[in-house]
Amino acid sequence: MTQVSGNAGDSVLTRRELLRRGAALGVGVPTTALLDACTSSSSGSGASTTSIAGTAVMSNYPSWMGSHVVADFERLHRGSHIKQVSSASSSIAGTVQQLKSGTYDFALADASATGQAVAIGIVAPLDWSKIPNIKFVGQGFRQGFPHGIPTDYGKVGIGYRPDLVGEKISSWHDVWRLAPKFSGKVVFIDIDRDCMGSTLKYLGHSGNSTVPSQLKACKDALIGIKPHLQAFLNTNVGQGLQDGSTVIAMDWDYDVALNKQKQPKIEWVFPAEGMVAYIEGWIAVKSSRHLPLVETFMNFALEPKQYADFVNTTGTAYVESAATPFITKAIADNPVLRPGQAVANVEYEHFLGQATALWTTIWQEVKAA
Amino acid sequence: MVAASAPPGPGAVSGCRLRRRHRVLARLLVAPSAAWTLVFFVAPLVLITVFSFGRENLVTFNITFGWTAANYGAFGGSLYLGTLLRSLDLSLGTTLGCALLGLPLAYFITRQRPGVQRLLLAGVIVPFWTSFLVRTYSWVNLLQSGGPVDRLAHGLTGHHVEVLYTPTSIAIGIVYSYLPLMVLPIYVALERVNPELYDAAADLGARPWRQFRRVVLPLARPGLIAGIIIVGVPAMGEYVIPEILGGGKTLMIGNIIVSEFLDVGNYPFGSALAVSLMTILMIMLFALRRVQPALEAR
Repeated sequence: MTQVSGNAGDSVLTRRELLRRGAALGVGVPTTALLDACTSSSSGSGASTTSIAGTAVMSNYPSWMGSHVVADFERLHRGSHIKQVSSASSSIAGTVQQLKSGTYDFALADASATGQAVAIGIVAPLDWSKIPNIKFVGQGFRQGFPHGIPTDYGKVGIGYRPDLVGEKISSWHDVWRLAPKFSGKVVFIDIDRDCMGSTLKYLGHSGNSTVPSQLKACKDALIGIKPHLQAFLNTNVGQGLQDGSTVIAMDWDYDVALNKQKQPKIEWVFPAEGMVAYIEGWIAVKSSRHLPLVETFMNFALEPKQYADFVNTTGTAYVESAATPFITKAIADNPVLRPGQAVANVEYEHFLGQATALWTTIWQEVKAA
Repeated sequence: MVAASAPPGPGAVSGCRLRRRHRVLARLLVAPSAAWTLVFFVAPLVLITVFSFGRENLVTFNITFGWTAANYGAFGGSLYLGTLLRSLDLSLGTTLGCALLGLPLAYFITRQRPGVQRLLLAGVIVPFWTSFLVRTYSWVNLLQSGGPVDRLAHGLTGHHVEVLYTPTSIAIGIVYSYLPLMVLPIYVALERVNPELYDAAADLGARPWRQFRRVVLPLARPGLIAGIIIVGVPAMGEYVIPEILGGGKTLMIGNIIVSEFLDVGNYPFGSALAVSLMTILMIMLFALRRVQPALEAR
């Protein structure tokens, strides 16, 4: 991958720069890249005018990108390419090991994986002056994801069928109380951070607790309710709510919103004890040789219109209120997905340090019990 | 004596060269598969064994090779032993299930005309042409509440059957997926049997069940033993089927190994679990191999 850098805004080329570009032309840099380097480049939203060219490789989930974001960006910045590889992992270890591999320039990662990657020193610090559009992201989300640009988050709450349960559910306590009554019709999320985090909330602790006694209590609570669970699921968690084969689900906001479109009787609960939420975003890899390109693309993707395209494509809960006018009404008007007041009651999952191993062991013990 | 001391004639020399050329040719022929085995089987195995004695910092994912046996010590914990026993239990049960279904099916196929045999064998093999994941996920639809199995049971008995996300659904999935691996070796064993043997048994007064027990079963034994090995070994380390049909509630040892590698990133401990499982399976296979001749001779 060849990169031509330099300040595109400069009209005067130094002799050294001219020679360097000439040499680059000799080794086959696309003419468009050179032309781009000689012309002003801007996303039209106050971005830096630094010239960018080359290909930045991104580790991403399949289809976890606005339908036309990349095409729009590449049209605006000729010679710049974003190559997505659908290899993003939901596991911290998987994400960190991908970042260590040196294959990627930037990646989608959650706050836990990012924290671990930062601890190892493989995350590139961003030049925020080149990403002015970060101003559109809510302060709470920026604090929850400080080492990159936050893109989405998922609250872990309760989805249920009031018509089948016969009473109102308002807390995690209600879930544990009603589970024996609806044994075999309750599902939990099959991801340790979300499931154990929510159980810790039920017990009145932090969803990021590293206190062994609290984690032991969490394990006991989960093993206690396990005989009444239909399953631990990590995909289509709330699907059973549609036909009533599941009546209560520990579930992500977007999944409940999606199922509610097909079954209006489904209700979403912000549990009284609070919620944990994962927060995801893009981080740059320290070994990247295309950091200016990555930063320019990050800035571009945060433009409200482009960000709205991402939300409309993925249907995720969103982090930019400024994008609301461009987001389809089905999502924008959905109280489950809108970044409203309830977000204040959310505790974002973060890196647990050495306690990660303890969480893993406890989770395996719960699953094996 | 003269002949013995005389130099070898031109015929002997060319014979010697021919043998040498054959040897070289044979080595050349075996070289690709030997290289393949060395690079993709032996080397990873050695690597995993070396890793299993290492120690990993789970924050930095840096591995140090201090030749510690601690990973093997942890395998003795109740969590892993319990899971191993559950895997053994499920593996034995499903292998037995495959044998009980596969033997009559293979026998039935061999008793058909050649054209029908080919058709029935295609029926056994065709499921392999579709993705394993798709086939396994299709069982979710079949077994889920309100699905065809549930509706059928409700229609017949008036009771709903909640099978999905239980050990039973895992067993059903394993038997379904591995059944062809049991049927084919038994079919091969029975297909070689002269059909006149069955007629002779019938002429001598053996009723169908006695015929099956005294003639078919002993003749099918080599295929049956091969089927048990081919089904039992991978079933023991199975992790995809429990993941999809177990609803995350029934862990097998394969799930823990996968989790150690992909979720936790603890390669040394995952390697130790894999090596331990492999050792257990090898011991079982060697034991079976020792008794195999006696079983086949009976």
